[in-house]
Amino acid sequence: MPSPFFCGSDAHRVSRRGFFGAAAAAGVAADMTGLNVLGSPALASELRRGQKRVILLWLAGGSSQLETFDPKPGAPTGGPFRAIQTDVPGLQISELMPKMATRMKDVCLIRGLNTRNGDHGSGAKLMMRGRRDEPSLRYPDLGAVVAREMGRADSQVPDYVTFYTQTEGRSFAPGDSGFLGARYAPMELTTNNTPEFIRRLDSITETDHRERAELRNMLGRDFVRGRTSDALGSHAEAYGRVRGIMGSERLFDVSQESQRTRDRYGPTQFGQQALIARRLVEAGVPFVRVARAWWDSHGQNFETHQEMVPELDHVMATLIDDLKERNLLNDVMVVTLAEFGRTPGINASLGRDHFASAWSMTMTGASAKGGAVWGRTDPRGQTVTHEEVNAANLFATIYAALGISPHKNYYVGSRPIPLVDPGAEPIEALVK
Amino acid sequence: MLLRPAYALAALAALSGSARADDPLHTLIDQHVGAAIKSAGVTPAPQADDATLVRRLTLDLVGRIPTTTEVDAYVKSDDANKRATLVDRLIASPGFARHQAAQFEVMLNPDGGGRRGGAALGEYLRGAMTAGKSWDRVYRELMLPDESDATMKGAADFLKARLADPDKLTNDVSVSFFGVNVSCAQCHDHPLVKDWTQDHFYGMKAFLVRTYDAGGMLAERGFGLAKHKANKGPEKVAPMMFLTGTKLDDPTAREMTKEEQKKEKELVEASKKEKKAPPPPAFSARARLVEVSLKDGNADFFARSIVNRMWHRFLGSGFVNPLDQMHSENPPSHPELLAALAKDTAAHGYDLKRLVSGIVMSQTYSRSSHYPTEATPDRRLFAVAALKPFTPLQLSTSLKIAAADPAQFEGKKAAEFEKLVEQMEGGGRGFASLIAQPTDNFQVGVGEALLFSNGDRVTREFLTDGGNTVLGRVKAMTDKKAAVALLVRTAYGRAPTDAESTALVAYVEGRADRPAEAYRQVLWALVTAPEFRFVY
Repeated sequence: MPSPFFCGSDAHRVSRRGFFGAAAAAGVAADMTGLNVLGSPALASELRRGQKRVILLWLAGGSSQLETFDPKPGAPTGGPFRAIQTDVPGLQISELMPKMATRMKDVCLIRGLNTRNGDHGSGAKLMMRGRRDEPSLRYPDLGAVVAREMGRADSQVPDYVTFYTQTEGRSFAPGDSGFLGARYAPMELTTNNTPEFIRRLDSITETDHRERAELRNMLGRDFVRGRTSDALGSHAEAYGRVRGIMGSERLFDVSQESQRTRDRYGPTQFGQQALIARRLVEAGVPFVRVARAWWDSHGQNFETHQEMVPELDHVMATLIDDLKERNLLNDVMVVTLAEFGRTPGINASLGRDHFASAWSMTMTGASAKGGAVWGRTDPRGQTVTHEEVNAANLFATIYAALGISPHKNYYVGSRPIPLVDPGAEPIEALVK
Repeated sequence: MLLRPAYALAALAALSGSARADDPLHTLIDQHVGAAIKSAGVTPAPQADDATLVRRLTLDLVGRIPTTTEVDAYVKSDDANKRATLVDRLIASPGFARHQAAQFEVMLNPDGGGRRGGAALGEYLRGAMTAGKSWDRVYRELMLPDESDATMKGAADFLKARLADPDKLTNDVSVSFFGVNVSCAQCHDHPLVKDWTQDHFYGMKAFLVRTYDAGGMLAERGFGLAKHKANKGPEKVAPMMFLTGTKLDDPTAREMTKEEQKKEKELVEASKKEKKAPPPPAFSARARLVEVSLKDGNADFFARSIVNRMWHRFLGSGFVNPLDQMHSENPPSHPELLAALAKDTAAHGYDLKRLVSGIVMSQTYSRSSHYPTEATPDRRLFAVAALKPFTPLQLSTSLKIAAADPAQFEGKKAAEFEKLVEQMEGGGRGFASLIAQPTDNFQVGVGEALLFSNGDRVTREFLTDGGNTVLGRVKAMTDKKAAVALLVRTAYGRAPTDAESTALVAYVEGRADRPAEAYRQVLWALVTAPEFRFVY
């Protein structure tokens, strides 16, 4: 059907579209639904040049630093596992992580976290934001900030995706854009690996779906003339992104990958979601969180970690290798983080409890310095003795390693809100 | 951007002799706002047309779009008094109580989209608005609820939801009722605002720190202390002190003894068992806060805050923004007008209906939101109407009305009509929970656009074509032009333009094999377009 009111609108959209203009020039339909984003070398190289992205492996419930990155073999608090030498001279990690042991040259390890909050709910909030909410100001989390800093207004992919399939602890750590609002709210996947509302309903045909959207544009054209408001602009932008985001459904489909690649990540849900995360960042999604629950080993800490750490070791190593091979590791940062670590003291149920005063996290890729280790804990792992890092310093460092100034301000009304708490500086030694 | 001081001075000069205290509120408003616009050398937007105004008034006052019957009645009426009549009718209708209560609920519980304390607070607020309670009475009832009175249960939720965190309680009370965010002064004197020192924060906290949760019931001790430690220096005991600096003699400021702690434990156990609150103390610090905050000389905070909030609700932004930053470093855009409205509101017993009616009867309120030239005047002049994104409930109720056969509303008695609207509002509540609550600087997320584009729920709840629906009606019509015109009128309260009519008819004609589907998509396009999503 000819639709006279539609003429020209696509051309406008294309000209605004920055690098997607390259796709249009190459003869790809301006409607992105059918576009193979991954397959276009022009797009991939544009992404490679500028935009940093993050994959956060969220170890929900609190993984044990002693059974991962800060082992204390032989100490009364050390537990049964040994430490093994890594490819970084002088650095040992738990024997449960043999694959990562050969890749620590790429990893920036912080062992000196003292975040002073051992509560699942508020600890998770703190470690997703780098700060505590004020009584009447809700801060955006890391995902929302990265989405805002790295996302494009007319992006054809989501800005912030979070996978949290297990139910344990999910309500403690929802993705949250705080005062940045609905524009940067995460796309949350909880029950399966395909986002809600990304697929056209069977009750409407493809043509009708597209053409009713054009009808919608036509109806708004007079209204927006002579009216300016950010909310109005965001409304247009949100609908303008729908078709593109629908086209990104395939990014969530691991069957698009070769069997070899899928096997490489392993058959676990965590592995498959990490693979989806790689597909998403490769296509330009600024922030993806893959949550793996539930590390909360108050009882049977060693069995829990014997089961879960090798999976983490495998998935993390595979992800880093894959990003490296795709020449993406300079722009994509893989972060492992939790709400806290676990007590060195072993309780009567052979468990470890919540512990926020001396624990570990890692950053791999972007401008995080590979092979660096920051922070030292005492021989039993009770306290940080050197190079202590709090949540604000950590976030300042993450932002700096992504090329974002931690002292940049957002504005709530006229009030400037710096990205991290005033006074917190990045750890220069960890940023390339 | 702040108005340059010169504006304010010029505005004052222009006003001298023109605005009088006994002028009606709307005249007062227009004189002050008009003077500031004039001295800024700005041409204000013209008055909105009747169809726009009836839509705006209906959305702002009762929280939904008007029906075609309501639009037609207003547009066609040549009664010189029709606007006042409409405003009076809407303010007197049950929809006003429901919509304003919903707005107050969000104001009091912004974190939970208005639902943190459960549904009881909302129920209380609806009752309060229905009874036409004044704002100071609502304040008293929220701050000093009598839980033994079953009708006051919900009022207690405002405090009860905050008892675990006295710092938050302190700040939320200050923000909600006085427009003052003192949380910055919790750890140090405010670095930028000399008005707020640690003494202010802890002075306010001293009124509230004795309030506690006694086994699910609200209780208060007859003694207690708010202590604070400055960055340097010894720990201090804060006397009860209101934001104006008014301090209270307090013979009861002391720590709890061991004996009293034990006794309180027993009291808590007893109230749990009997489901009855412990008796109130002889000296209630919280009651003193209410008393001192409404006293002459102190009541300015309370009066100015409610005026600023109501202005924000109807005009889209406050005289002071953000709403919780009313202090000397953040002067209002129209200081004289804010003062005059605050004075009037206090003098008339904090009657919300009088204030609301004054605002919406002004020419300032009824300006067009359309400003054709490039340079839109400074928002703080109120020279152009602001676009206000719908609240979730405004959106869902309006969708229900746009989806209904307008014949349903015709010829109904007022009470029947109100009942039908209330049912529709109730039916949309579930959907409303999927929509984000707008805040200042609100931006629509792509999640909403995806929900509307691909959500089964949108189709099922708003786009069906059975009995009593507008889609059911149009699919039986043979005249396509009349059919799309009806759809445009129910959604937008106006006739389609020629271009719209042509395009919509062409869309339907291109789907001759599936006209019902075609009309469904037309309605979808109408309600997802910006003209539907905003109060304009």
